[in-house]
Amino acid sequence: MIHLDDNLTLTDDGFVTCAHCNTRLGENSHDPLAHAVKRERPSRDAGPGVHADPKTFTAREIVLRQFFCPGCSTVLVTEIVPRDEPSFRHWSLDANRGN
Amino acid sequence: MPLIHVAGSEKFEFEERLSDELRAIASKFVSLHLVDAAAELAIDPLTYEVIRHRLSAITDDMGDALKRMSGSVVVTDCNDFNAAIADETGDLILVGQYNMQLAASLDMAIKWTLEHRSENPGLRPGDMFFCNDPWIGGGLHQNDASVFAPLFYDGELFAWSGAVCHQVDLGGVSPGSWSVAGTDVFWESTPVPPVKIVENGNLRPDIEDMYLRRSRVPKLIALDLRAKLGANNVAQQRLTQLIDKYGPRVVKAVMKKMMHDAEHRLRSKLRSLPDGTWGAVAHQDGARAGDSNIYKIVLQMTKHDDKLIFDFTGTDAQVEGFINCTFAGVRGGIMPIIMTMLCNDIPWAPGGIYRCVEIISERGTINNCTFPAGIGKASVASAWATQNAVSECVAQMVGTHPQHRKAAMSCCQGTWDLALLAGVDQRGAPFVTMLCDPMAGGLGARVDQDGVDTGGQMPIPMGRIADVEINEFSFPMLYLWRREEMDSGGPGRYRGGLGGSSCFIPHDSPLHGVHLVVSAPGKALPLAPGLAGGYPSATSYDVLMRDTNVQKILAQGFIPGDLDEIDGRHEVLPSHVETDMAANDVYFTHWQGGGGYGDPLRRDPREVALDVASFRVSPRAASDVYGVILKTDGTADAGATEARRGDLRRDRIGEGAA
Repeated sequence: MIHLDDNLTLTDDGFVTCAHCNTRLGENSHDPLAHAVKRERPSRDAGPGVHADPKTFTAREIVLRQFFCPGCSTVLVTEIVPRDEPSFRHWSLDANRGN
Repeated sequence: MPLIHVAGSEKFEFEERLSDELRAIASKFVSLHLVDAAAELAIDPLTYEVIRHRLSAITDDMGDALKRMSGSVVVTDCNDFNAAIADETGDLILVGQYNMQLAASLDMAIKWTLEHRSENPGLRPGDMFFCNDPWIGGGLHQNDASVFAPLFYDGELFAWSGAVCHQVDLGGVSPGSWSVAGTDVFWESTPVPPVKIVENGNLRPDIEDMYLRRSRVPKLIALDLRAKLGANNVAQQRLTQLIDKYGPRVVKAVMKKMMHDAEHRLRSKLRSLPDGTWGAVAHQDGARAGDSNIYKIVLQMTKHDDKLIFDFTGTDAQVEGFINCTFAGVRGGIMPIIMTMLCNDIPWAPGGIYRCVEIISERGTINNCTFPAGIGKASVASAWATQNAVSECVAQMVGTHPQHRKAAMSCCQGTWDLALLAGVDQRGAPFVTMLCDPMAGGLGARVDQDGVDTGGQMPIPMGRIADVEINEFSFPMLYLWRREEMDSGGPGRYRGGLGGSSCFIPHDSPLHGVHLVVSAPGKALPLAPGLAGGYPSATSYDVLMRDTNVQKILAQGFIPGDLDEIDGRHEVLPSHVETDMAANDVYFTHWQGGGGYGDPLRRDPREVALDVASFRVSPRAASDVYGVILKTDGTADAGATEARRGDLRRDRIGEGAA
């Protein structure tokens, strides 16, 4: 078993699970968040740290994009990005090597 | 005018060559010292450590010499410089702990010089070369001017020393050489490929004049030039003494072993980590004044066995503006992260570390641009963004290891919030300076602790900010405040370190104002992402208040502590702008903190309460982001917090949430 980060565990049988509630998030480490819940909201929903409306600076829509565990709703990935872009924050692990 | 390729500019683009290949080219014109592998094997551990530490001390001495001779606050008080020692073919043996981005490309300039200058004008004892051409190396934008010198011993080229620092103005359309309206390099300071500026120990006045003529503050630049010559002189003297004592064979063997050790230990660490691929993206909003587009650098980092491959395929094409960087910027974005996050227990010998790295980057993109793309802001634009993406990928990889994970850190301060002041100072002399207060950026959160508030920047371990009083003494400005800013650290189970803000007015200039150049992306979206669900840092936020009553407030004996306490016209500034500040104008600049780590709803409510009590987190963020409800005495209300967090969790994914 590998603790991938604060929230994710790679089990000995190759599943990616939530470290908090054991919900299976991915069938393998090449698509680790296949079952995560994706949500997009206005970027200012991230809190007062987003000082100004993005429309002040750009015509592109900026969103707070997050992926959650469907079991306990722990946030697994957070990014603030242009809505028209895919998420580039993906990873794939070859669990058979290293460690 | 669109960017049109300049025929012949390829000559000035660094081309990677194996050391043996380079040796063969240069050896036709200069004798290069060579040591065999047996010498390296013969070194006893004690001698190795003594010489290794001596070399490190020489690099420190170079830094001290540079600081003591420079007259620029950017160097003397903020440490925006670095020094390095390289072997005979330019492989870096070690770099100082100052701005590692700058030093990460000194080897490129040395190698180019070996290839293109060995024959004519030739390399001889007492020579030094100047370079500020980032396509060749030695720095990331034209303001990073480097001086490097071959060290000869017994008639052979034994090694190189090099020093580089940020120059406050080297010409171009805008003061400080930050031409925010520029569309290509011709708006900027002219890059100078390596030229022999010191010959046989004598500074060449013709070359120096050519260099200084372009600057708005030539005397200051002349002083910095001498500081770099002095740093190289220190290195040459100390290295010669070292070789006199131990002999060239032993010293060179130590140099080679330092690089081999770094390579071997990094490869060993990489083998202990799982193979895989990690993706990241780094944005910048605006390539020049008036531009509202958003640009991206895409990275896919693959770790295979004992090698790291950084693939930037998918990165946006180079753009009309001044945010592009050359290949030196890519290296400047990679090397500091590897050294601080992966080599925290490994000697910083980039020549060995680079051997573990492969870079895939398409020419003509914003972080590997071709001439004549604008690069005036490269160091803190696309090179910095490259560093953000690299930081995110390396941290995720390191975070999978049970021991090494403690070195993982979320992204630090996602950008540099540039404020450049120019005009006439209180002594009646022309001045230009970059305000280095953003050097106190927030560090990213770690896997087990908060990021350090205004802790600095990962690639500049020795970076610091000048005292407020030093800035006020040196420049016609008066601070209303400089402080850490609430909610600027990315929320998370572990919070990102806070960024800060400065607020000042022009003061005591005979012109009754100053010229202001602002360049700070990260306003449409934050640029320091978090990890493991942690939130990014705050956005940058710059406000210029016009025609205020600040002088009246000061005359009444009060110092405003917030923009709300000042009357005036409130202008939220775009990413890039150039303007003038009058005596009654107030400028507020708020730079970013570090990214958070983990889910903020899993942060200990007691920590959130402490954050609120110490003005690190606002009550609004405590409730809306951390889900912590405070009692009237400031402590966390356990029951109300549990209920609030339950509501927020249900809001995240619907009623099905636990």
